[in-house]
Amino acid sequence: MTRMRATTLAAIAVTLLLAWLVLYPIIVVAADAANGTAWHDFFTRPGEWAALWASIWISLASVVLAAAIGIPLAFLFEWFDFPGRKTLGGLVALPVVLPPLVGVIAFLFLYGESGFIARAIQALFKLDEAPWQLQGPFAILLVHAYSMYVYFYLFTRAGLARLDVTMLEAAQALGADRRRTLWRVVVPLVRPSLAGAAMLTFMTALGSFSAPYIFGGGFRVMTTQIVATKLNGDLSLAMVETVVLALVAVIALLILRRTEGNDILVALGKGIAPRPRPIRRAGVRRLTTIAGWGLAVLLLLPHLTLAVVSLVPFGSWTTEILPPVINFDNYRRLFSEAERLRPLLNSLWMAGASTAAAVVLALIAGWLVVRRRVWLRRAIEGLLVLPWALPGTVFAIALATAFSVHAPWALRFVLVGTAVILPLAYLVRGLPLTGRGLLAAYRQLDPSLEEAAASLGAGRWRTLTRVTLPQLRPGLAAGASLAFVAALGDLVASIVLYTYETRPISIEILSSLRLTETGVAAAFGVVLMIVSAVVLGVGARR
Amino acid sequence: MDALVGPARPRDREGPLSGFLALRAIEKRWSPEIAVGPVTLDIARGEILALLGPSGSGKTTMLRLLAGFETADAGRIAVANEDVTNVPPARRRFGMVFQHYALFPHLDVGENVAFGLHASRNGERAAVEQKVSQALALVDLAGFERRKVHELSGGQQQRVAVARALAPEPRVLLLDEPLSNLDPALRERTRRELRQVIKRIGITTVFVTHEQEEAFDLGDRIAVLNGGRLEQVGPSNDLYERPVNLFVATFVGRANVFRGAAARALGHTRDGQVLVVRPERLQFGSAGLAGVVREVRYTGPAAFFLVESEDGQRFEVLAEPHAARVDERVHVGATRVIVLPDSRGGGGGISSP
Repeated sequence: MTRMRATTLAAIAVTLLLAWLVLYPIIVVAADAANGTAWHDFFTRPGEWAALWASIWISLASVVLAAAIGIPLAFLFEWFDFPGRKTLGGLVALPVVLPPLVGVIAFLFLYGESGFIARAIQALFKLDEAPWQLQGPFAILLVHAYSMYVYFYLFTRAGLARLDVTMLEAAQALGADRRRTLWRVVVPLVRPSLAGAAMLTFMTALGSFSAPYIFGGGFRVMTTQIVATKLNGDLSLAMVETVVLALVAVIALLILRRTEGNDILVALGKGIAPRPRPIRRAGVRRLTTIAGWGLAVLLLLPHLTLAVVSLVPFGSWTTEILPPVINFDNYRRLFSEAERLRPLLNSLWMAGASTAAAVVLALIAGWLVVRRRVWLRRAIEGLLVLPWALPGTVFAIALATAFSVHAPWALRFVLVGTAVILPLAYLVRGLPLTGRGLLAAYRQLDPSLEEAAASLGAGRWRTLTRVTLPQLRPGLAAGASLAFVAALGDLVASIVLYTYETRPISIEILSSLRLTETGVAAAFGVVLMIVSAVVLGVGARR
Repeated sequence: MDALVGPARPRDREGPLSGFLALRAIEKRWSPEIAVGPVTLDIARGEILALLGPSGSGKTTMLRLLAGFETADAGRIAVANEDVTNVPPARRRFGMVFQHYALFPHLDVGENVAFGLHASRNGERAAVEQKVSQALALVDLAGFERRKVHELSGGQQQRVAVARALAPEPRVLLLDEPLSNLDPALRERTRRELRQVIKRIGITTVFVTHEQEEAFDLGDRIAVLNGGRLEQVGPSNDLYERPVNLFVATFVGRANVFRGAAARALGHTRDGQVLVVRPERLQFGSAGLAGVVREVRYTGPAAFFLVESEDGQRFEVLAEPHAARVDERVHVGATRVIVLPDSRGGGGGISSP
């Protein structure tokens, strides 16, 4: 009986804490927006409508582009065999390692008007000025396509890998040719995967901030519009915009969810996936191999560019095609100048602390939801994944609004401007990542393992540390590494909530760019990329 | 404690069936409609008790109540006169073998078996290792300490699970369908070995099964559960020869149930009674119940003859393979009948577990 009561109390406490973190700030913003007069401004200014429309069509176009690149690649790597298939198959997923801001500045250095390609063409044709400007919707879509096709690629490959070869054989035995098999059997079976990828791409594109911020120029989407309005000091309008963006996200999620269909279809076939078919025709085989490696180079170019630019000292590279001086000066400055080291340390501790908190919260929530099956479990689970459904900008504005007022009776405190607010924002964004990983791992964990430990005399602590945690470790590590990397590279929340003392890497990259210290910005980017890759690599280890 | 449980009844402390493990009106209510119990049972020290019943009969719930994974809504559980009803599983000192063994996949065989033996100091560690090797030797897996769990066959995993449960020297051993994951040939052998190990240690054991043959083979006594109620407890021949009701008669062993004229032709029944006859207790003769052979199922040493009586009741006769042919008109007599109150309507029929 006492155990029951303790569980119920814990469930209520966790639900309230999550609600306060995740839901309450949004309610505050929605309430403030509803009371304000800014709705009139929003509906009458053409700029607002343009930004809203831009957000929607950019997101849709991102889905189409990402699908057009990712799906064929997935079929190629899953169904056909050619030299280098394994290595390339891993490389293709690489853009996902690049934090959004780092990807964006890499594109800037590579394809921007003063980037490598533009310089080369300018020199080659002896042009007076850069051949193009990397700006506007086209530039945004280019970056989106580059980083988001990975969702389609990975989801489709996973879907294809789960296909049962006997289903394809059954289709053939029933007289279906290849085209019919593809459209009547394969596509319906991988449809849930495709819908999942579309949903993820759409939501990521809708919440995307770095690309529109750097490349947008005069072209505004909702996320950049909100931040601009906020920086202009028009708070009530920013709140209205935030509410509108949140509504768009929720509506999109509801629509896309309907298309997801039934995942059970695929889970039914528990057989072996079809083996990759070697490409027989020598010409096609050679062409595929060359195209594959060409693609790999194309995908790796941004990373390489970033590495090269990071080795170029300040002011040494003016008009040459290739940088004349290359050394480790930028890295030395990064680690020796206190003002440069600061953002690095800031980001590390804030990401670490927020991830640790997100893991602990997810563990408690997972235990309550899966093991104790408390009556609040749906509420807890919903609150855990809610931050995933809404763009980061929404939460940034919501936190900035809710925690800039001192009203303890309403559970509102002045946290903006303190060292707490950014880790708190990262925590909110990290909750869905650690929560999903942990809930999935917890659900797969056979409860009789914990019962076995108990029947062998192990107390709660011993059961947790010796049995439960070791079994949850893969799911936990995967979620925690994703949360850590997201926090480390975050720009969306940081740009709204940072102070000079707590400025993270992303803000420092932006200010370095503004001071045209591209080398330092690139060096930060490389550090961010390496730390992210290492953390994700460790997190993915079984 | 005694005040709560009440003094142990004198009978419990004397005869061979004194309740070393005692269940007193133990009850678990999942909902107003679904409940298990109240069940009262006494299990003697060193006895092997089988909990037998169809799925959903509450046998696993009973076992989990004993282990402490479920808390009883009413009633008491006592072991060696100590009330353990509210003792959590970790302090109950009951060993449990899970249906899917629940071996810890991240630990090797030795670490699994040692899990219940706390070791902190170095001196104790040697003692633990000795206990581990003893436990493994007991189940014929000496030298398997450093093997990975997933490298073992199903039968070996089952034995590791038994060794792990026995290593901390529990007061009671609980087994949840311990053999259901093994293939039939292995199951029979493992059953014998399991009984040998349990009897050698002399540990009081409760195990759950839905197979009558397993219950007969492994259990000293069998408790038949149905719909959450305890129907009958007794040694196997009691259940087979003297079932107390129609459910036990038909669930334990194959049984023909006769009603009406067919029942009166074979034995003496009154209204509201049925006649239960085992197939091997029926034989073809010159007089008795008349019928036609509809089917013959040959099993090797004998054959089952499906016979339809004139009033349309179908029943099985176990006899020598050439005793009758299909479509032959036969007369059937009974050598031993069981008369039971009729607990359900309708005609007669055959029932097998």
